[in-house]
Amino acid sequence: MWAYSIRRLLYNVPVFLGILLFVMGALRVNDPIYGFLGKNASEEEYKAFQEKAGLDKPFWLQYAIFVKGVITFDFSTESWDQPGLSVGERLRRAIGPSLSITIPALILSTAVSVVVGLVSAYFRGQGLDRTLVFIAVLGMSISFLVYIILGQYFGAYVPNRYFNREVFSIHGYDGWSQLNLPVDWAYYCLLPVVISVVVSMGYDTRYYRAVMVEETGRDYMITAQAKGASKPKVMFVHMLKNAMIPIITRVAITLPFLITGSILLETYFGIPGMGQTLISAVNAKDFPVVQAFTAVFAALYILTNILTDVLYALVDPRIRLA
Amino acid sequence: MNPPTSTVRRPWYRSRTVRRFLRNRLAVVALMIVVTYLLTALLVFGGMITLDDTEARVSAGSIPALFQPQPPEKRLEDCQFWLDELKKALDQTDAKAALGDVQFGAVDVASLPLPELRETHEQARRLDQSLAGYADLNDAPEAATKLVELEELVAQLFPLPEGLGAVQRFIELSLGTDRQGRSIALRATYSIMVAVQIGLVTAVLSVVIGGLLGGAAGYFGSWVDGGVTWLYTTFSSIPYLVLLVLIAYMFIGTVFDGTLFPVYVAFCATFWIGPCRTIRGETLKIKQLEYVQAARSMGFSQLHTMVRHVLPNTTHLMLVGFSLNFIAAIKAEVILTFLGLGVKKGPSWGIMIAQSGSEVVNGFFSQIAAATIFMFGLVLAFNILSDALQDVFDPKHV
Repeated sequence: MWAYSIRRLLYNVPVFLGILLFVMGALRVNDPIYGFLGKNASEEEYKAFQEKAGLDKPFWLQYAIFVKGVITFDFSTESWDQPGLSVGERLRRAIGPSLSITIPALILSTAVSVVVGLVSAYFRGQGLDRTLVFIAVLGMSISFLVYIILGQYFGAYVPNRYFNREVFSIHGYDGWSQLNLPVDWAYYCLLPVVISVVVSMGYDTRYYRAVMVEETGRDYMITAQAKGASKPKVMFVHMLKNAMIPIITRVAITLPFLITGSILLETYFGIPGMGQTLISAVNAKDFPVVQAFTAVFAALYILTNILTDVLYALVDPRIRLA
Repeated sequence: MNPPTSTVRRPWYRSRTVRRFLRNRLAVVALMIVVTYLLTALLVFGGMITLDDTEARVSAGSIPALFQPQPPEKRLEDCQFWLDELKKALDQTDAKAALGDVQFGAVDVASLPLPELRETHEQARRLDQSLAGYADLNDAPEAATKLVELEELVAQLFPLPEGLGAVQRFIELSLGTDRQGRSIALRATYSIMVAVQIGLVTAVLSVVIGGLLGGAAGYFGSWVDGGVTWLYTTFSSIPYLVLLVLIAYMFIGTVFDGTLFPVYVAFCATFWIGPCRTIRGETLKIKQLEYVQAARSMGFSQLHTMVRHVLPNTTHLMLVGFSLNFIAAIKAEVILTFLGLGVKKGPSWGIMIAQSGSEVVNGFFSQIAAATIFMFGLVLAFNILSDALQDVFDPKHV
């Protein structure tokens, strides 16, 4: 197992180096300094800024410095847009608000989707199943943005007007420090969480239903039924256990997105999480922040992929990691 | 080498695949809907609706869809809008010419002599003044009659066109107007063309790129496979929205800024991975089959074997990849546009939805509803279609 993990890690080193190369290249296609200072920056200003940001060095040297920084977790480069704040500091500040939305959303949507998937598979081919599948397809055909806009209107504006006070907040959330009571969490985060659960329900339900339906065709299901186990017991005890593997895989795949947060939700609700920080950095041409964020996202993504494979082997004894 | 003539060759439209597809009623309906959308896009592309039409004001702002009855305040406001527009033209030194320029979609200023126009305008203004005295227009019955009178005067100044013009007017106002008074119906219809354009270009390019790379990787193996695998692992290790944002960011300020080119590049760079993966896997399988070995032993080159014998057998995967990418591109356009990195000139569903965010807060739903329903129809039909395709080609798929 350890040998496997380490080999996977080594195999992903060129991938990660490639990502950093691509990101750094992409960010330098447009001169980032002129982008930040404006087209009319004078020669001296430009030179001074270039030297300060270390962009006057040859590309390979910048690459080496950046790679070294990422490997040693050294994110002390100063943000351009918010001088005085290091990139690492901005990362640390943004991570909390993102997680306080995405973790509950992931747990909730997985739980609900698995149950709906099970129910759908249980009534496979019948009216209920068809209706659920059709609703899932309907839900998938509507844009995320529409869910957010309407969710905010019906979830916040309408109840606020009805009760004549703020039931749910639509802006003003800025991190852990505001969450003293569970009620505070509901006030700031419940609405975005519910919206993101609704959005992912369509995709998740379909996937879990497919998983369950595939499991129902297995031999052990027939055996279980033959020895007289009731249908609910077969479905919820025998099958759910075996369906755990694909469920874990899917959850593990979404883990890096916990940190990325939902760019759209955060932008719309004004939550200062990772997604919004990235977008505002892009808009403010804050080059070091964009560079560092992308590197961190990619690193997390690769690590969780490896973790998924290892977890897979832990859960399923049939899989040998060679 | 003559092909064996003894086997009966069915035309493609009577093949088993097509018959199985046709048995799925829902999928056939979906196909018809998709074709309707494509035809509309073609008509728009041919000039049925121009970009200028979508940008021109057709009436007062924020008129709701489907000719819903409106509160008196809004009706009064609309009357004032028309009168103000008329006054602007009348106040010009060359009023005649200025009046000629006033046009709102199919509606022009009435072709009355100038003094008469001024007289009617003054009369309407007096009515408007007297209505300002009422605190609540809903309460006073005489206010209601005055409002109707005012509307009649405005209708005299801006008479509804007849014949074809009336039809045009009906269409222009059928889905209401946005805050700038632009026709939602025209904008939503024009956006079909934009969406189809983005979907087609992205889906075709990404499937071609993914297919060629995936096919080459699977067929040639060794370093080609290593390279392609590295490339797609790299690209798929960057979260997809981040990759989109990064590439769109690359083009800000270049000559391509404002065109659809950055959108195409961003989408293709993201969406080629799916087809590439599946086609690489399928090629690995096909490579082992006897007919491929037969082709090789007959002396065909590697490239010829791959292009003529292996890749055509992955067409079904390309078709499925195409429909999945088409949907993904249309949905991603909305997100990218909302973030300010997508479509920048002219209308698109993304622009309409993003714009309607502030309208919804004020209780105006026409624009978001129109854009969502137009998009919903296309995406839903394509979703059903791609499901049916997967069913037809892959009996194991559930």
